[in-house]
Amino acid sequence: MAAIYASVGSTVALPKSALDQLVSKLIQMGYRVFGPQVQDGAIVYKTLTDARDLPKGYISQQDSAKYRLVYTGHPRYFDATPGAQSWKQFFFPPQSELADYTRDANGHWQMAEHATDLTPLALFGVYPCDLAAIQIQDRIFLREEWKDPIYWSRRQSAFILAVNCLHPCGTGFCASMGTGPKANPGYDLSLTELDDVFLVELGSEAGRQVMEGMPILPTSAFWLQAGQKSLEDASTRMGRSLPRPQDLPELLLNNLDANQWEVVARRCMSCTSCTQVCPTCFCWDTHDSADLSGQKARRDRLWDSCFNPDYSYIVGGNSRPNTRSRYRQWLTHKFGSWYAQFGSSGCVGCGRCITWCPATIDVTEEIKAIREEVQA
Amino acid sequence: MILTTGKPHAISPTEPMQPFWAEITEITREAPGVSTYWLKFLDPNLQEGFHFKAGQFNMVSVPGLGEAAISISSDVEDAHRIGHTIRAVGNVTSAINQMDVGDILGLRGPFGSWWPLEQWFGRDIVIAAGGIGLPPMRPILYYISHHRHDFGKVIVLYGARTQNDLQFTREYKSWQDQDIELQVTVDRGDDSWQGRVGVVPILFYNTRVDPHNTVILTCGPEIMIRFVIFEALARRVPPERIFVSLERNMKCGLGSCGHCQVGPFFVCKDGPVFSFDKLQPYVNVEEL
Amino acid sequence: MTSQQELIKALQAIPWFHVMTADHFNKIVSIARIFKFEPGQVIFHEGDKEDYLYVVLEGRVAIEISVPGRGRIRILTADAMDEVGWSSVTPVVRQRTAGARAVLPSRLVAFDANELSKMCDEDHDFGYFVMRRLANVVAGRLLTTRLQLLDMFANPVEQKED
Repeated sequence: MAAIYASVGSTVALPKSALDQLVSKLIQMGYRVFGPQVQDGAIVYKTLTDARDLPKGYISQQDSAKYRLVYTGHPRYFDATPGAQSWKQFFFPPQSELADYTRDANGHWQMAEHATDLTPLALFGVYPCDLAAIQIQDRIFLREEWKDPIYWSRRQSAFILAVNCLHPCGTGFCASMGTGPKANPGYDLSLTELDDVFLVELGSEAGRQVMEGMPILPTSAFWLQAGQKSLEDASTRMGRSLPRPQDLPELLLNNLDANQWEVVARRCMSCTSCTQVCPTCFCWDTHDSADLSGQKARRDRLWDSCFNPDYSYIVGGNSRPNTRSRYRQWLTHKFGSWYAQFGSSGCVGCGRCITWCPATIDVTEEIKAIREEVQA
Repeated sequence: MILTTGKPHAISPTEPMQPFWAEITEITREAPGVSTYWLKFLDPNLQEGFHFKAGQFNMVSVPGLGEAAISISSDVEDAHRIGHTIRAVGNVTSAINQMDVGDILGLRGPFGSWWPLEQWFGRDIVIAAGGIGLPPMRPILYYISHHRHDFGKVIVLYGARTQNDLQFTREYKSWQDQDIELQVTVDRGDDSWQGRVGVVPILFYNTRVDPHNTVILTCGPEIMIRFVIFEALARRVPPERIFVSLERNMKCGLGSCGHCQVGPFFVCKDGPVFSFDKLQPYVNVEEL
Repeated sequence: MTSQQELIKALQAIPWFHVMTADHFNKIVSIARIFKFEPGQVIFHEGDKEDYLYVVLEGRVAIEISVPGRGRIRILTADAMDEVGWSSVTPVVRQRTAGARAVLPSRLVAFDANELSKMCDEDHDFGYFVMRRLANVVAGRLLTTRLQLLDMFANPVEQKED
């Protein structure tokens, strides 16, 4: 076959059998590749060395407080939708060092410089909801006045291979949030999985370079239409929906005294699961420690949660002393205040908080209930 | 140290959580458990270039213990030193309370919104403060003292728990000498106290306020703030001319860690100084 | 200046007397007297029978309650134009519930409480006027007391009273 030149913005076809070459190419180019794999009955993101480690043949069944991975043996790699983990752990690690201090000869504290690992990361298999989440977190950690160095050093060089979602997870409502099931721009490559090929969209020069030398085929109209149809199909099979998210800032911030907050508070255990699995939640805490000699000290950054009782400590007490006020903070921030703060909704409709809430709280139902209470 | 808009600040855009070292050059004991620490950056360029506005705060750090958000209580026009009036309430502030002249602290800042003094030229100003809420106001009083003719009547209504808790008593006379009226009250007094016993909002009863030309500033316990606002609104001062300084749990000062949120606002970034019209929808929501 | 002239001048300085009718004003002058107190001088003790309603003209008066083991606690001060002893005009309270003592050299105008009550009973317009004014005073005191009760300045590090 004649050599095919694929340009940025074009779509090519990659035979399924060549997926492993894609993984190898990334490793060869110096990336540390992370991808979805099955572990302990769930999809987790681990170092990927071989395409065979991807969850081929699995499907996931998700509902309120329910997550199952079922092996059916089908020939596809990316039917199973994300589990509790999201990609935020790579750019915004759950625990990281902010400062390492040692006292010098004069007794003054000096900061130790630690070499940062600059190995570029390749995120292999990012679902559209999660890509949108990364872009939301970009606005939080990378600002005009400052950039978070931990996020910045990892995000800049990161390669994102997105996967369009053809088997909606059931708890997600990405279609309502405009984040899926097709990935919006922001990926280096995106894959749409058909029966015998992947449709590969080249989103950037980095993506184009990775595809160089791959055994690509030109995309036929048949394949393009099949891909198109699968995506259209997927968007009609959403398990949840959230009508008019842009109306929520006004709805939520004008109804901070709604009775529904009391109702949901009786179920919520303030366990922080939702904030941990949420790919956009960004709250963090600092932890300072010193050794017994008083010569060395450390400052770490840890994930925090607005459901954590200490989170809202103020001198003299706690400004949010109960579950009701904390749940209200989380929901009104995610769906309301976020717009004023960062210019978009904080939710990408991934459905994780619905799947992983042990109290079966469903944010789409809660919002629906508030809407109904306000209209009454 | 980095130059932004031509002015150095103690914030690094590539390492925004990194503190800059400053030495304690003097300590003024203000009240039991409260002292003002006068600091000077070890880097003289940074000290010379450090500029802040009245109402802003720094994150003050003690390696091994943590950081505390503390308002800057010194004169904005004093380039030689930075003053922080600190009350010992937690690990970090208690450790600072044990420190001596010559000890080193970390500073990051200045952060936050400021009292918009330039909007108040020609206006009457009423400052209603309680307890440890007076230190964030002190830069205003210094500024007014140096530029007295730029402002109309200036009245300070100040209260604390007892006469021992009153801040900056040594400076009252110099403020009064600058034609700043001072009315002081305490929640409880004993035989040795010749001043007023009562609460700050009640001091409004003796104060004549022209609603068309007065700005009301308040800082202190949030309960006191609420009642001061009540009195201000009752005297028909418009919400956009009532300013408050709020306090919340702060870990970063950058609007990043999330802890200081009140409604849609980050108190460290959109505040701590707010005009009341911005806060009005949220001020009576419990546990926000 | 004769003491009657002094009295009239003093009453005219008090804001709420400006809106009184001449008739009411004359009546109230007839039951008023002026007292002077030196710093530290007791105006009335806790437990005393109610005799006068006072308005401070100049100086400062402290309201005190004696607590066994803690001594005399100053719970409030009254400055110029503030009332002291409003409860003497209410029907239920028979004894002073707190003491009052001058803190600064003070001048007070005192209204015979009995006579004032009688005047209110006989002339309801006058009575309404007085009671409205006192309702304001009590509201202000209640607000102050509530805020003092909340102890909003309490340093959270201290667990007990100092």
